[in-house]
Amino acid sequence: MAHKILVVDDDNALREMVGIVLQSGGFEVHYCDDGAGALAAFNASKPDLVLLDVMLPGKDGIEVCKEIRHVAGTPIIMLTAKSDADDVVRGLEAGADDYVVKPFDPVVLIARINARLRPLAAEATDLVRIGPLELDVTGHEVRRGSEKISLTPLEFNLLLTLALKPKQVFTREMLLETVWGYHYKADTRLVNVHVQRLRSKIEDDPDNPQIVTTVRGIGYKAGTLQ
Amino acid sequence: MSLLRRSLQVRTVAATVGFSAVALVLLGGFLSYSIGTGLFNTRLNQVLGESERAFIEVQNTFSAATASDEIALQTLVNSVVPNLETTGTAESRKVALLRSPGQSSALILQSPISADLSTSLFDEKLREQVRNSNGQLTYQSVALPSANGAVHPGLVVGAPITIPVAGDYEIYLVFDLVGEQQTLDFVQATLVVGGLITMLIIASISWFVTRRIVRPVQEVAQVAEEIAAGDLNRKLTEEGEDVIAQLARSFNRMTEALRTQIDKLSKVSTMQQRFVSDVSHELRTPLTTIKLAGDVIFSQRESLDGPAKRSAELMQDQIDRFQVLLNDLLEISRYDAGAVIADLEQHDLNGVVGMAIASIEPLAVSKGSKIEIELPNGPVEADMDSRRIERLLRNLLANAVEHGEGKPILVCVGADDKAVAVSVTDYGVGMSRAQLDRVFDRFWRADPARKRTTGGTGLGLAISLEDTNLHSGWLQVWAKPNEGASFRLTLPRKAGQVFTESPLALPPTTRPASLKRASSKKAEAVDE
Repeated sequence: MAHKILVVDDDNALREMVGIVLQSGGFEVHYCDDGAGALAAFNASKPDLVLLDVMLPGKDGIEVCKEIRHVAGTPIIMLTAKSDADDVVRGLEAGADDYVVKPFDPVVLIARINARLRPLAAEATDLVRIGPLELDVTGHEVRRGSEKISLTPLEFNLLLTLALKPKQVFTREMLLETVWGYHYKADTRLVNVHVQRLRSKIEDDPDNPQIVTTVRGIGYKAGTLQ
Repeated sequence: MSLLRRSLQVRTVAATVGFSAVALVLLGGFLSYSIGTGLFNTRLNQVLGESERAFIEVQNTFSAATASDEIALQTLVNSVVPNLETTGTAESRKVALLRSPGQSSALILQSPISADLSTSLFDEKLREQVRNSNGQLTYQSVALPSANGAVHPGLVVGAPITIPVAGDYEIYLVFDLVGEQQTLDFVQATLVVGGLITMLIIASISWFVTRRIVRPVQEVAQVAEEIAAGDLNRKLTEEGEDVIAQLARSFNRMTEALRTQIDKLSKVSTMQQRFVSDVSHELRTPLTTIKLAGDVIFSQRESLDGPAKRSAELMQDQIDRFQVLLNDLLEISRYDAGAVIADLEQHDLNGVVGMAIASIEPLAVSKGSKIEIELPNGPVEADMDSRRIERLLRNLLANAVEHGEGKPILVCVGADDKAVAVSVTDYGVGMSRAQLDRVFDRFWRADPARKRTTGGTGLGLAISLEDTNLHSGWLQVWAKPNEGASFRLTLPRKAGQVFTESPLALPPTTRPASLKRASSKKAEAVDE
């Protein structure tokens, strides 16, 4: 079954062109041309992934991103013209999984989309533990005792990656490759921001993390807390 | 001394005090002299008057005496002369009666002399004057030894006196001027104390006055210093209508004008930067569409006929070039806006060089240039933003390949304890001195007539230089027409560390083994 992708962009030509590229890549494409209608379009089309322009009339992409995150963990990739600006960090903090800088290569766009849609390589184990948390790999669920914690697929993958090799320290580059599917140098802010978001959901005290700990100067690893 | 040189105020006060001191010493000397003279003259007149009266009285007594024998005369002398000691107003008056020498009279009276009075006071010169004075009073200043060993100023007044039968004598009165001396001492002490007090007052006044003038000047100097340091918001207080206030007003007007001008310029500059940045961003969305469309067409070029197929290929190339140009423009505008922050981490320069070479290798191979590498043993670690340094090296390598005319390219890495360096050298067309001067200019190309093969944007070296400055490093170039060009990047080992020389020579001392030309000439033109 073809994956459904919602393209939110106010530029008609670009929206149509992205649609052509995605359709030729085998995706089912839905469109929305402004920020205000984005959530309604999202609810109507129930996409598997959202391509979201940051600068939108009416309501900007950051706001739209927050709204969608509020109702679903669907992967969101932002389209941005400014890779250096605060827009990127704000977008990531609002819950976007990844971003693509204009002008982008169609191959790159499709690779980024596939990376987000591809499930993490199936693991032999069904239940993984990290600290006080239990990860149900097949069910894509995280529980602390009986309490269910809602994570986006990306956050789940991030946590699972760390949990599967509890003794290993992951550099940001390793995480970018494993979780985001980047095979070359990419923006390590992706990792930093998402680790922060993950911690805010799973840690008792996000400022003093016990489950996902920082290894100074190297990266992150699963905490030793049992 | 340094304080004198440094402080205008101290210098002014010192000069004032110095000159007043000279003036006061002269004034005090004059006062002391004239008071002393006045005191002396008054006393002298009094002494002379007293003496005259005394001498006349004594002479009259002797002249009226009827005594003619030695004993009677001696008795008379003994009763009259010592009396002079007690009479008179002066506290201390002593008397002496001396016989004039060279007389034939056989009668010699004993000369009464006041106790403690030494005849050495009456020297021969004085006595001769007295003898030849024809009855006039003769006086002389002398030094009187006193009981406590001190010496008092004194006056000796003498007159000839005739004693019947006994002959010519000289009578002397010795006056002690200690009272006058004391008065004079007191006056002088008063003058000295008064002078010192006056000096103090003058010093204070001049200190105060100069402070009134120097303080505002100091303030101006300090504010000027702060303005020079970049704080254009500093202002002077404008009080009153005097010249200092006028200075403050003009000064404030000047800084105001300066600030307005700078604001205007920076606004223009910011607008220009914003414009470049905005244009670059605005171009990105249509460029994305064009790129995607171009890609679709390009991927289906095989189904197009000849000219259309070639057009699709050309379009694809130029879209890529457009994209690179746009990225470079954005990068430069980020530098211009001061929005670039280095992501410094310790990296092995060898590794970064290796990655840059790997990405340029295909281009070099296509141009027939062999890249030769000289690396030191072991890692060469330094704080750097590896992404920027790799981009910088890629750019240097691409330039070397483009201008290297297919000759080998030499890449050297070097290090010492303070800095690391990498040089990229080609042996191609090189550059003239005039070209060297402009090599880091934006959109400048060594030879506009040369065809562009690798499609550089003309911003590469400008960005490389900005990247280098971001690391507080050096990017230097050597070139000689038809001999090649060498670019050398030197970076500090630790961020912020200062280095004074590069570990590598520019141009490199070695030549690629595959380059069969032995001449290794000295650097002719080196530019930073």
